[in-house]
Amino acid sequence: MKKLALILLAFAASLPAQELDSHKLLNPGTDSWPTFNGDYSGRRYSTLAQINQTNVGSLTLAWAFQSRSQGSFTSMPLVVNGIMYATLPDQVFAIDARTGRQIWHFQRPSQGGGNRGVAMYKDRLIFTTPDAHVICISARDGKQIWQIQIADPAFKGFASMAPLVIRDHVLVAGSGDAADLPGFLLSLDPMTGQTQWRWDSEPKPGEPGSETWPQDSDVMSRGGGMLWLTGTYDPELNLTYWGTGNPHPVENSEARPGANLYTCSIVALNPDTGKLVWYFQPSPHDTHDWDTNMTPVLFDANFKGKPRKLLAQAGKEGLFFVLDRTNGKALVSAPLGDSDWYSGWDERGQPIPRKEAEPQPDGALVHSAITLWNAPSFDPQTGLFYVNERDWINVYYLTIPGKKAQGWAGRDFTVVGKPFLKALDYQTGKIKWSKEGTGRGGGSSGILTTAGHLLFTADTSGNLVALDPATGKTLWHTYPGAAMGSAPMTYELDGRQYVVTPVEGVIYAWALPAR
Amino acid sequence: MRKLTFVLLIAFFAVAVLRAQEGPPQGGAQRGGAGARAQKQAQAEAAERGRKTFVATCAGCHGEDATGGRGSDLIRSALVRHDKNGDLLSPVITAGRPDRGMPGFPLGEKDLSDIDAFLHAQIDLYDMHTRVPGGYPDDIPASRLATGSAEAGKAYFYGAGGCSKCHSPTGDLAGIAKKYSAPDLQQRFLYPAGKPSTATVTLPSGKKFSGTLLLKDEFTVAIRDADGWYHSWPLRAVKVEVEDPLAWHFAQAYKYTNADMHNLFTYLETLK
Amino acid sequence: MKKLSLMLLVIFAAALVVRAQDDAPQGAAAASQKQAQAEAVERGRKQFVGTCAACHGEDATGGRGPDLIRSSIARHDKGGDLLGPVITGGRPDRGMPNFPFNDSQVGDLVAFIKAQIALFDLHTRTPGAYPNDIPAERLASGSVEAGKAYFYGAGGCAKCHSPTGDLAGVAGKYTPVDLQTRLLYPAGKLPNATVKLTSGETLTGVLQLNDGSYVAIKDKDGWYHSWPRGAVKDLKVEDPLAAHVELLHKYTNADMHNLFTYLVTLK
Repeated sequence: MKKLALILLAFAASLPAQELDSHKLLNPGTDSWPTFNGDYSGRRYSTLAQINQTNVGSLTLAWAFQSRSQGSFTSMPLVVNGIMYATLPDQVFAIDARTGRQIWHFQRPSQGGGNRGVAMYKDRLIFTTPDAHVICISARDGKQIWQIQIADPAFKGFASMAPLVIRDHVLVAGSGDAADLPGFLLSLDPMTGQTQWRWDSEPKPGEPGSETWPQDSDVMSRGGGMLWLTGTYDPELNLTYWGTGNPHPVENSEARPGANLYTCSIVALNPDTGKLVWYFQPSPHDTHDWDTNMTPVLFDANFKGKPRKLLAQAGKEGLFFVLDRTNGKALVSAPLGDSDWYSGWDERGQPIPRKEAEPQPDGALVHSAITLWNAPSFDPQTGLFYVNERDWINVYYLTIPGKKAQGWAGRDFTVVGKPFLKALDYQTGKIKWSKEGTGRGGGSSGILTTAGHLLFTADTSGNLVALDPATGKTLWHTYPGAAMGSAPMTYELDGRQYVVTPVEGVIYAWALPAR
Repeated sequence: MRKLTFVLLIAFFAVAVLRAQEGPPQGGAQRGGAGARAQKQAQAEAAERGRKTFVATCAGCHGEDATGGRGSDLIRSALVRHDKNGDLLSPVITAGRPDRGMPGFPLGEKDLSDIDAFLHAQIDLYDMHTRVPGGYPDDIPASRLATGSAEAGKAYFYGAGGCSKCHSPTGDLAGIAKKYSAPDLQQRFLYPAGKPSTATVTLPSGKKFSGTLLLKDEFTVAIRDADGWYHSWPLRAVKVEVEDPLAWHFAQAYKYTNADMHNLFTYLETLK
Repeated sequence: MKKLSLMLLVIFAAALVVRAQDDAPQGAAAASQKQAQAEAVERGRKQFVGTCAACHGEDATGGRGPDLIRSSIARHDKGGDLLGPVITGGRPDRGMPNFPFNDSQVGDLVAFIKAQIALFDLHTRTPGAYPNDIPAERLASGSVEAGKAYFYGAGGCAKCHSPTGDLAGVAGKYTPVDLQTRLLYPAGKLPNATVKLTSGETLTGVLQLNDGSYVAIKDKDGWYHSWPRGAVKDLKVEDPLAAHVELLHKYTNADMHNLFTYLVTLK
């Protein structure tokens, strides 16, 4: 055993100092945040407790990083070996995670858009661009190594997601909701950018799932289902979990009768082959642009007295599901808020959409809870799942009826909405506590929970807040000048815990006062 | 409907023009205003001329909406989507595609560029994401939305809805259907956003301040008083009474059924 | 001298072009636009010298006629809108005849006058406005002998440098002003640091930060490292410019001129 440790140590020492050791992806430790969600589980829970309920009131600014650039940070920064990697569209910044000082800056001409961050593979960073490219640069100095194109901007294809690295696979996908593009997930070789495998959101004719599309048209071949938010991974089961987007044409039901698999689904894929292992569909036959891309959060916990491998997701359709992640069977199906668009649950625990709630030529008034992409969090200490949600009222108009419809094919507007931060019991789906925000629409921010019995997020007035995750009581707050579009993250360096909040063009790092 | 489509085309064409430019937009200040409007207008006119030529010449095979028929779907055509100012499209129109059964059309440069404008406007129309600012569906005619019962709507207005407590069809709502486009009218009666709340703040000393409410979150209250001065206080130090002129609409928004919405709209649409 | 002022004109005309636009054009297009503008200025200068200089002076600072550098009309002019009518219409009341130039000629004249104004307005500490046009003979006012003596003696330059080694041909490598600046202080070289950590590890690299709270270096492979000052047991900073810093406080005005005059001989 000692000998093995020595060999391991020698191996580790032979790596150039700042590379990402692949073990770090499996066990990030408290000094790293090496993936979009901090770890493969997507829980956004940190075991750090230096900042806790007794001292959070004295939280202060450790440093601030000014991007000096137009554009908002909607990305999650990574932290690896003391260096932070943050993105704006077509830009990457390497920042000293101790001091906030810039190390290097990568920039290419940009058309704007959004970006959610980089993935790291050894000494490389990989990210996507508004013109649907995937770019690999050196983490050492930001020099470009390779780039490929994965979708056609002329068909409104773009890319914004942070890729997910699993061993020697870089999982990445494009987006685009306007021109009936088929959804896909690519696995790329991190050394060259070459495709290792491709999973399509839609089956081929005759394959399982194809029966959920019309047989007399080719709508299935361009049926949407974009994967635009980073998935999660269970190394033991060797399954990667992803949410897929809405089907196309977006707001026309008639052109695509059926459940439209595998759009608006949670899918479990084998990361080595791209083969589908199971699926669950939170919004069957979606007609409201309710992508279910939101993070499939993985945790192991007792369920009705038995230890289970679980997956929880709060989706844009406003529902909360807890699944057995070995097989996709639903254990809990529950609403996040007030919704009137479904009539009940089918035998799989999926909602049964009401025909009348589909977009109509004269407008359909639909009440629906909704949650956006901003990260939820699961806190194993409280056993609660936290999500920023809104009770929304929308009117959906069908403007291009008929089987030949394409593109968006409808119009919709939001009448009004009530924002909430909600804490859900994963065993029942019941809302343990709920905190109403200000405003009647409002932004949405991601959430972080920590072992310090703290929940960090931003309220709908833009205040950064630290709450008691058991009750929702506010323990610390400050106004950073704008709303946080991204989510908080945390790490510890040299015995000091930092909580980082990207807000528009500034990254703030909060910590206890330096001793 | 044609006129409405035309209006839409103008709106979306502007987006197309912006998108078509390479690189960052050039010098906004000078280019904004009148120049941009004139350019939009010219583009919209070109698209409308192009539509006529297209209907007469191309629609037989490609469909009036360009989504295809005997000929290919031009909305999903990579050639059309990658075309810039006719560089790819015009040669195909003039030379035809004899191998695929498309004849050549000896159109002049102006006709070609008008058809190009029409097709790109048509693509933008199909690609439009409705939540894009400016993508609001102002083109839906009242006749399509007024599918409820005016009688039932009137009954709701004076009864269950409680609308008549504040509004009157001969008073503030007289001629309301003429003031707004049909979708705007529908949106505004569901929730007429934009009216600020007023607040009265009482300090521990008993001194009161009133004005337009600017902020009330968990920590702070801020108002602008009648003289235009800004004031703010920590919320825990003061007593705040808020009067929201939309409170009733906000509560009611969560009570409307789909039928209520259609009936009430159909009734309001009679107030011309 | 003429060549140097032409160079300057090119630079400042380019600055004008960039300022005149809302957004700087990119890459090649911008370069060719700069070039075109510089050519217009040079054509304008020739015309000005031939036609206008007799009254307004070759440098447009006036003479019999008014100073155009301080002229309100010239400064408010945009694309010839104010100067054009005066040139082609004259000012008979003030004794200025009219000159029947065409639009393109007027454009060149305006480009020249605007470039002249920019030249006079130039603040030397503005980035890019470095006075690279001063000829060596104007600066080399010292004694070669005294400079050489200083180099090998009091200055101690010879401890690190050699006129046949690293300094061979140095006068050909830099403009005179650059050479003078660099001999005084060749800025841009970051110090090297040896960082001994409390953990016992020792790292070396180029110092990036040493602000009392943190130490940061970039190692020879280009990777960045940082530590809180408390984690650093010993920090050795080796400033390759230390001798230059020391010398800066000792140079007399005469030393500078002598040394420069000597270095200029190293062609």
